[in-house]
Amino acid sequence: MRKTRPALAAAAACLFAVTACSTTEPEAAGGGDSGDIETGSGVTDDTITIGVLTDLSGPFAAGAAVQVTQFQAFWDQVNADGGVCDRDVELQVQDHAYDPQKAVSLYRSMSSDIIALQQVLGGPTSAAVLPLADQDSMYAGGVGWASTALGYESNQLPGASYSIQGANAVDYLVDELGVAEGSSIGVVYFAGDYGADVLAGAQHAAEERGVEIIPQEITPATTDLSAQASALVQDGASAVILGAAPGQLASLAGVLASQGADIPIVGMNPTFNPALLDTPVADALLADTYSILSVAPYASDEPGVRAANELYEAADPDGAIGWEVPLASGQAQLLRTALEGACEAGDLTPEGVVAAMREGADVDTEGLFPDGLDYSTVGESPTRTVYVTKVSDTAEAGLELLETYEGPSAQSYTFG
Amino acid sequence: MSYFLTQVLNGLSFGLVLSLIAAGFAIVFTSTGVLNFAHGSVVLAGAYLVAVTQPTIGFWPAVLVGILGAALIGVLINALLVRNLADPNPGTAAILMLGVDILLLTELTRRIGNRVLPLGAPWGADVVRFGGISLPTGRVLAAVLAVVVFAGLWFMFSRTRVGIGMRAAAADGPTASLMGIRLSRTGATGWALAGVLAALAGIFLTSFPSPGVVPSVALSAFLAIPAWVLGGFDSVPGAVLGGLVIGLVTALTVGYERELHFLGAGFGEVVPYLVMIIVLLVRPQGLLGSKEAVRV
Repeated sequence: MRKTRPALAAAAACLFAVTACSTTEPEAAGGGDSGDIETGSGVTDDTITIGVLTDLSGPFAAGAAVQVTQFQAFWDQVNADGGVCDRDVELQVQDHAYDPQKAVSLYRSMSSDIIALQQVLGGPTSAAVLPLADQDSMYAGGVGWASTALGYESNQLPGASYSIQGANAVDYLVDELGVAEGSSIGVVYFAGDYGADVLAGAQHAAEERGVEIIPQEITPATTDLSAQASALVQDGASAVILGAAPGQLASLAGVLASQGADIPIVGMNPTFNPALLDTPVADALLADTYSILSVAPYASDEPGVRAANELYEAADPDGAIGWEVPLASGQAQLLRTALEGACEAGDLTPEGVVAAMREGADVDTEGLFPDGLDYSTVGESPTRTVYVTKVSDTAEAGLELLETYEGPSAQSYTFG
Repeated sequence: MSYFLTQVLNGLSFGLVLSLIAAGFAIVFTSTGVLNFAHGSVVLAGAYLVAVTQPTIGFWPAVLVGILGAALIGVLINALLVRNLADPNPGTAAILMLGVDILLLTELTRRIGNRVLPLGAPWGADVVRFGGISLPTGRVLAAVLAVVVFAGLWFMFSRTRVGIGMRAAAADGPTASLMGIRLSRTGATGWALAGVLAALAGIFLTSFPSPGVVPSVALSAFLAIPAWVLGGFDSVPGAVLGGLVIGLVTALTVGYERELHFLGAGFGEVVPYLVMIIVLLVRPQGLLGSKEAVRV
């Protein structure tokens, strides 16, 4: 009996805590009808609050900081121009430190105060948050390019998925860089949803184009790719596709060059960092290295990219430049379009934003993304077009835009 | 045949770099009984110090700064945290070290940012070629240096008062203390030595064929954990042997991945742990560890 009393007390305390939560004023975070527009969480008469779940103290802190700076600059500009739906847009930035558990807790605590998630940075963190956001019909952008995210109605992928990047890489190698039918192409990739998606796209394209894929799986801890590069040379690879990070690109290019293997390397969107051009492998990278991007490179002349770069340079004159700058502006532009669509439809609620985003069948981002992004079908990549860039020491941020490209295998790739 | 030899030499040279790190783990464990999970950040800190000081003072003086800096970090962790532990049990210390690792790594990540810091090593991306085999010059130097360092360690532990004192302290702390050996001094020496080894390993982990100092270097250091455990927690020669075994097995598994494809993709990433488990099943004390070693 003695033991039951504290247990009962604890149960009562829990119950009290739960009911205490549920009696919170529903209007505290906004919501209700204001004028002709229905509003929901994160919206008051004069502000719209959007959330950013990012990594400010973990492994991706540096690139994440660039994007947060750019998000802030973008929305400040929007507010200066009159805001969205006659309201100012405010950012609520939280640091998940690349910890999925923490990301889930932060999402839980912020979800009643925001109308949409501008970004959930990181593979494992977004994999943890996306199902919850989807249940709540909460818009979630900026989760990277893994195809696994496409199945969620509330997700908006910023450009072509990794599988489309991988398929385009094979097409480009065969059509433009002279890789002959019957040759083999190495694919060096991180274990996990990013690398596996690149491999899936490349394998599909290889079957279509009559080339063979030599897969080499690695992890982020593999920073010396000597063994992998030697094996690819031994197996007679005519080119290498890389679904990894900048450190792996530098190592691979350096070792291949040192072995006299003069073959093209095609990296996926996250593999290039302009800082690599200050390392001893710069010459090897400048020789024959390409990067397939889903977002326009920093050096693009498109008006959207120029505007994004100017905004960033004004916000942080000494900040690191790279593809993160146009990406952040592009993501913010996508969310702005969805918010404006929701406003026009008179439904400024999380559900209304998702519905407006899914009505977008021809979204224009002034060249930040390929034209005609189509979000009307859940489970489909919004585009099959990518940007092909080449490493260059004269282009801004080290990547020169060669062309926008959509190969036949990227067109025929099926999701599901 | 030259392909096989290339992979063998790749594996052995990388294995010696792992040995430098694994020996650091073993020395800290024998001198203070701590499972030093902050060792990866010390490796990164050593390389970081070289990279940030070399543009102004030149590469070789920067190497000295990196080595002394890493040794100092080790000594400070020991003096400020390990020696003041109220409960000197390996579990508490290990968790404390995980905390130190997170703090150090977060700060270094913040400082390095989105950059890749070049190390400025004079051997750059040079390659040594002989008989159809090519090996990065940095790796050849790493192998030579590691052999010299291990010979020095052997001499120290078998012939010098300091080294013998450290061995006595490791074998039986209270008795060694009664015999006049100052445990605080042998502990500090152990941490400093581990710091020196960490900085040396950091320099070779961040020069060609790696691009430079990036935060993920701290992760690479964890590759040395199977080498350390495999060799026996408390044995420096065991750590060296463990590093060589892991380096060689990994290089050959990756090199012959096509032939081994029936084992699944990415087998090279798990093979160090597989080898470790098999060895521990047959020899629970590790290759050269003493039987009384505390295992967690």
